[in-house]
Amino acid sequence: MNCEVCQLKELEVEHFEIREVLRCILHTIVFHRALGLVRPKVIDLELFDITYVQCGDGELEKKIDEKIEQFISWVEKHPNKKSQVCISFYEVKNKHPSWFTNKTERLYWEQWYINLNVSQQQKVHSGKSHPSKIVVDPGGNSLEERSARRAALETSLREVLFQIIKFVNEKKDHVPPISDGVVYFPYEVTIPRWILSLIHEI
Amino acid sequence: MASSHGNSTHSESAKTEQIITEFFAKSLHIILECRSPFMSSRNFSGEQALSSPSSSSSSSSSVRPRDKWFNLALGECPAALENLDLWRQSNFEPVVVDVILVKRGLSRTQSLKESGNAYSSDHEEVFSGSEEKIIERWIVQYDTRKPREKGSTSRRTSSNVLHTLYKKSILLLRSLYATVRLLPAYKIFRDLNCSGKLRPFTLTHRLLSFVEPFTRKEESEMQRFSFTPVDTSSGRLCLSVLYHSSVSDASSESSTPMSPQFIPDYVGSPLADPLKRFTSLPVSSPSSLPFSRRHSWSYDRYRASPPAYFSPSPTHSEPPAANALRFGPVNLPPQHPDSSSVHKTNYSYDEYYPSPNFTPSPSPSPPVYMHGNHLSNAALLRTESAPVCIPKLNLHPSLPMNDNSRPSRGSKLDTSTDLIRFALALIWDCFSCLCVVVKDDSKKHYGTKISTVNSSQFSISRSSSRSFLDDFDDSDFPCHFDVEDDDPMYHGSRPESFDKRSHIGDQMDPQAGGTFPIKKSQDAAVGALVHMLKKAPPLRQELSTSTVDSTHVSSIRAEHPPDTSSSVLVASKTTADALEELQGFKLMKDCLLSQGGGTCNVAAGIWK
Repeated sequence: MNCEVCQLKELEVEHFEIREVLRCILHTIVFHRALGLVRPKVIDLELFDITYVQCGDGELEKKIDEKIEQFISWVEKHPNKKSQVCISFYEVKNKHPSWFTNKTERLYWEQWYINLNVSQQQKVHSGKSHPSKIVVDPGGNSLEERSARRAALETSLREVLFQIIKFVNEKKDHVPPISDGVVYFPYEVTIPRWILSLIHEI
Repeated sequence: MASSHGNSTHSESAKTEQIITEFFAKSLHIILECRSPFMSSRNFSGEQALSSPSSSSSSSSSVRPRDKWFNLALGECPAALENLDLWRQSNFEPVVVDVILVKRGLSRTQSLKESGNAYSSDHEEVFSGSEEKIIERWIVQYDTRKPREKGSTSRRTSSNVLHTLYKKSILLLRSLYATVRLLPAYKIFRDLNCSGKLRPFTLTHRLLSFVEPFTRKEESEMQRFSFTPVDTSSGRLCLSVLYHSSVSDASSESSTPMSPQFIPDYVGSPLADPLKRFTSLPVSSPSSLPFSRRHSWSYDRYRASPPAYFSPSPTHSEPPAANALRFGPVNLPPQHPDSSSVHKTNYSYDEYYPSPNFTPSPSPSPPVYMHGNHLSNAALLRTESAPVCIPKLNLHPSLPMNDNSRPSRGSKLDTSTDLIRFALALIWDCFSCLCVVVKDDSKKHYGTKISTVNSSQFSISRSSSRSFLDDFDDSDFPCHFDVEDDDPMYHGSRPESFDKRSHIGDQMDPQAGGTFPIKKSQDAAVGALVHMLKKAPPLRQELSTSTVDSTHVSSIRAEHPPDTSSSVLVASKTTADALEELQGFKLMKDCLLSQGGGTCNVAAGIWK
């Protein structure tokens, strides 16, 4: 089974927008991969005029929020860098236990890369970062520019969501069969640091 | 073997049919639940077994609660879909959902039409004079034209086939669920469904079993989004949407808030400036207040106070004289023949008293007004914070004495106190109506006098009185309060008499003249006051009558000259008269404030 990879369009977000953007994208992806019985929950974003769908699972929400917080912490430590959040779906294959290992093997069948370019133009920043790191764009703080940037981000975010939908539609064969009683395919959310290091070297 | 295979195939096709039927239902459910605002829906998560018209009734598949199909529990089913199964003939017919944006017209009628091939939802509303525009068209169809993949079924078991079909249907419906909320029409739906505002548009839909082609122009304006079809053994499930990408213009139109919103400071509310409010409310009978906002509390005013206390405290910048003179209604009520002489001397005030229904005395004019304009207007001006209840009045009202003792407007007066205050302010304004044109000098006098009063209590009424006065500044009706400079007698006398009023609370000088009745029963005072209030006309509506009344009153007053001087009461009031009246009102106020019983001598008269 091949692993389908989807690179989502890069989004330029400000620090305070990370949470909402990531929530929106991650929940949309998971909703399309939670093929068990779900009661969808519709969420209206606060920062953008976009409505996305969650699975209506509190536990899932909590897990995703934790991952988002980890990402935000990472971003604060590595500001002004392109960053990624990767959500991978895998199957658990029980490897034949051997004296080497008795681990279970994860067979990834799908990976989504959420590309973010976090700008540090906001005035309010987490206390962890150095104040000197805050780049204040002389023209970036004007109301018009901010609203234009926000509108552009909303359009891009909507495009990303449609990108997810199209991907889900076009590629269905690689999705494993649904197991009874299982709502979500196993997944993990990671921050591929190695990509960042590569980008940093460029 | 063959039979088993045949049975298996039959079972597979039946199940496929079932999946397809449920796919139609579920997709329409997803679409309509966020395109059909205010839909009434029932909880359709019941155990209704699916019975597709084209499938065998004895489906081998387990009966699932319909809501759980495709692992997507949506809950309530739109009412539009309740009869979908009956409407659709077969799965081979497409289902077309046209989402229509209707811009409201003059009237709306609901139409429920059911033709051979078209089923209109019972929520369809036709707005006469409205404009309809299809902003979305969803097409769900089972396309059997796709050739079956050769050999696919032979290599795959039926269960796998069904499982794959089901899984892919789930994926498609998941993406449909997300897509339907990302399209522009969702904003309109959300606006209509969630917002309580009245919008000039609405969303409706219609279900068709055929596609009405768009014009080329229409189609050029729309964008298409097609979901990847889901292959089945005998065809494929197709779902696509044509949508307008710019329908948000309709939702951005101005709307009228429909949701009831409590306006705390509406005109006339107790929360608003009460005195300012009184300006527009002639203190007369409730029925004669055309422009007044009738409140339940407003009637308390009529119990509240004699005219002396009706006057709202003149506010800050207002010339107090103006406010004083704007006391009472513009037009004077007809004379009451049984008025005492004192009444008649200052009939102008008599008329402003409320009708006698508040008093046993037939005489409408309370003693307070008997010296009419001579009463201390300052007393009247302070009524804003002077709670007076007419039943208690007897001219010894519970009105707190002015000035310092009286609580300021912002103090913690109870409701009844506030009501009384409002009443007083109202009455003050009504009397102020009498004086449309007030000379500046007279205003100055009043200003001087008023200044002695607690200015804080004047603040509100003053502004209100001023506004009221302004309305009548250029009035064309004669007011007996009109100050005439060419009357030397009163110009000279008024200031003098006015000066005698060093502060509010002075007992009215009995020597002021018999312009007004000396003694008057409390009830009569109240009744007269009420009568006056009732007769008080509104701001402008009764301007036409005010002329007559004022003239009438003037003539009446002329017939009953004051003791001191008949010339005091002339057709048009002078500034001096107004000052005197102010003094009279002051005295009246004092009497009302005093806690003692009995009558109050309110011989305002003209103080010389």
